Amino acid sequence: MRVSFPNFSNIHVVIKAVARKLGVSEGELVVPPPTTQKTLDLGVKYSPVEACLPFKLTLGNLIEACEMGADTLIQARGTGICRLGYYAKVQEQILSDLGYNARFLTYDVSRNKLVGMFSLMRNLKGANWFRDIPALHFGMSKLFSLDRIDKAVRHTRAVEGERGVANQIYKEAIASIDGAENGREVKRLTRKYVGRLNSVARDPRARPVRIGVTGEIYVVLEPFANMDLEMEMGKLGVQVERTLSLSRWVKYSLFLNPLGIDEWKDVRKAAMPYLKRDVGGDGWESVGEKVFHSREYDGLVHVAPFTCMPEIVAENIMPSTKEDLPVLSLVFDEQMGKQGMITRLEAFVDLLKFRRRSREKHENFSGC
Amino acid sequence: MRTFLGVDVGSVTTKLALIDEGNQLIASIYLRTQGKPIEMIQAGLKEIEKRMPPGSEICGLATTGSARYLAGVVLGADLIKNEITSHAVAAMHHVPDVQTVVEIGGQDSKIIIIRDGVVVDFGMNTVCAAGTGSFLDHQASRLDVKIEEFGEYALESKMPVRIAGRCTVFAESDMVHKQQMGHRTQDIIYGLCQSLVRNYLNNVALGKEILPPVVFQGGVAFNQGIVRALDEGLKTHVSVPPNHELMGAIGAALLVHEEVEVEGIGTRFKGFDIIQMDFQTSSFECGGCPNNCEIAQLAMNGRILARWGGRCGRWEKMIEEELTIS
Repeated sequence: MRVSFPNFSNIHVVIKAVARKLGVSEGELVVPPPTTQKTLDLGVKYSPVEACLPFKLTLGNLIEACEMGADTLIQARGTGICRLGYYAKVQEQILSDLGYNARFLTYDVSRNKLVGMFSLMRNLKGANWFRDIPALHFGMSKLFSLDRIDKAVRHTRAVEGERGVANQIYKEAIASIDGAENGREVKRLTRKYVGRLNSVARDPRARPVRIGVTGEIYVVLEPFANMDLEMEMGKLGVQVERTLSLSRWVKYSLFLNPLGIDEWKDVRKAAMPYLKRDVGGDGWESVGEKVFHSREYDGLVHVAPFTCMPEIVAENIMPSTKEDLPVLSLVFDEQMGKQGMITRLEAFVDLLKFRRRSREKHENFSGC
Repeated sequence: MRTFLGVDVGSVTTKLALIDEGNQLIASIYLRTQGKPIEMIQAGLKEIEKRMPPGSEICGLATTGSARYLAGVVLGADLIKNEITSHAVAAMHHVPDVQTVVEIGGQDSKIIIIRDGVVVDFGMNTVCAAGTGSFLDHQASRLDVKIEEFGEYALESKMPVRIAGRCTVFAESDMVHKQQMGHRTQDIIYGLCQSLVRNYLNNVALGKEILPPVVFQGGVAFNQGIVRALDEGLKTHVSVPPNHELMGAIGAALLVHEEVEVEGIGTRFKGFDIIQMDFQTSSFECGGCPNNCEIAQLAMNGRILARWGGRCGRWEKMIEEELTIS
């Protein structure tokens, strides 16, 4: 068996960690090459033209994995979410038409997620609780570590004195976490890199604006899909805030949701006056995030893949909320040029700075 | 006399605007870019040098437009600003109580919503060029009408024909159809103007609250037909400021003036010598990874000044290293 999976943010680090502890040998795990233009070209070539960007990119990943000899592929499935529910079935068909006889191991992301996780591990290496639980725990410790470092880098990029230092440390951090052998080492490395990021020499004149990023989770979290959105925002002196993260998803979906703890309760409640129900994907939460964070953020960047129905619904509801938070909606697909995104981002950051300046003027005036 | 120069290098035209310390326009140039941005920057700068009042010097320079980064490196800009902010600043300077800015340029169109002197929202065309100047340019040549006379023809129309405007391809085939049916050229031209405005209002301006005063700027504002169609489409008077085609450049100049005054810094402008300099641009595929990024580079007299286009930043970084060595 040679098992592989589609790329998603830094998930390869986590999957490698779990697989190693499960006893999957190096030869049995095919880590797909990093997502590149070639991946996208392959995905676009073999996908239906109206499929969304996450479908095309993950298909590209799986084709590249098959070229490397993978015969077992892990992919998400589910009901009532969005087109993601059909990804695995359609991709299986496309791969089989291309002549790859890969078996799909699907993971249901809509219900019984903890049970599903263990059955996925059992499918890989047979059941053994004494091995599976520590393996999952180890993978999660890396996932939480990566997200803590990620948060630190999003804040450091906005204020670093010398451009690019934060990204350099971040790159190093991911490689080190990837190499860590045990939980203690992961903890030590996390402290080390978060500390290094927090002590990067600051630009004394930096006054970052705080912008939240929300929208469809794959495009939010996958830098190739969003054209390095967070890095580009960092270059413009933006402190990027983001509620969505993989570790949060795992923590709640696998462990706390079954206990009745809903991480989106407040955000959904905030959305209620404008949208009363789930519209698939992350659309409900996107509307809620705008309302919920309207006092805390200076602005919100709302991202979605082209033709994403849930986010189209959200995008059209957002302007009508009485909570006044500027929103920039960006839609991504293989046709989008990066320069257009940067021009809009620059103008959006200017807008937020003008707003801040006029607010401060107003406050000073009323203070006299 | 201290002066400030704004340079707006767009896809179709290159604009230079020189302002004095009182923010008054003292010289300007309007050129077709013709796909040669660097040559046009040099040509424009040469003209500006001729028209500068004796004893004046450039104390700040800003670039804007789609070639703003290239222009910024060539000229040594103190400020590189996106065209949306530049246009907003210029509009507020000319019409202080402006609430809506409509800007239609060669290859893009924008709407900027301003309330109480602050930009609160903006939109930029995302899908196609059907609402922009290049589209009209193309159709004018098809109808064998000079683009400069396009507006006059449109104003003569009594009975405009309705032309599909969602996409240039549909508009074009619809226009040919109307020609073959025997409609007057004037009516077809005004129909085209209406279709462009409809397209603009349904795409770029969709969901935006358009309140007067509305200012219409950009090169397309030369076209009286579009002005009339906008008036009718918005049911309000749309004003076209003098120098509407230069607004991006003027906005950039105003911004750099403010920045220089606040920061109290000297300019990085490389001087008029660059008119004589030999600039070369070239591009290559990186090949370092399967991304195969297209890297564009700019050299002056054989020395690399800047590189763009890489995802990972290694080429940009290499420049810094080369520069520190040399």
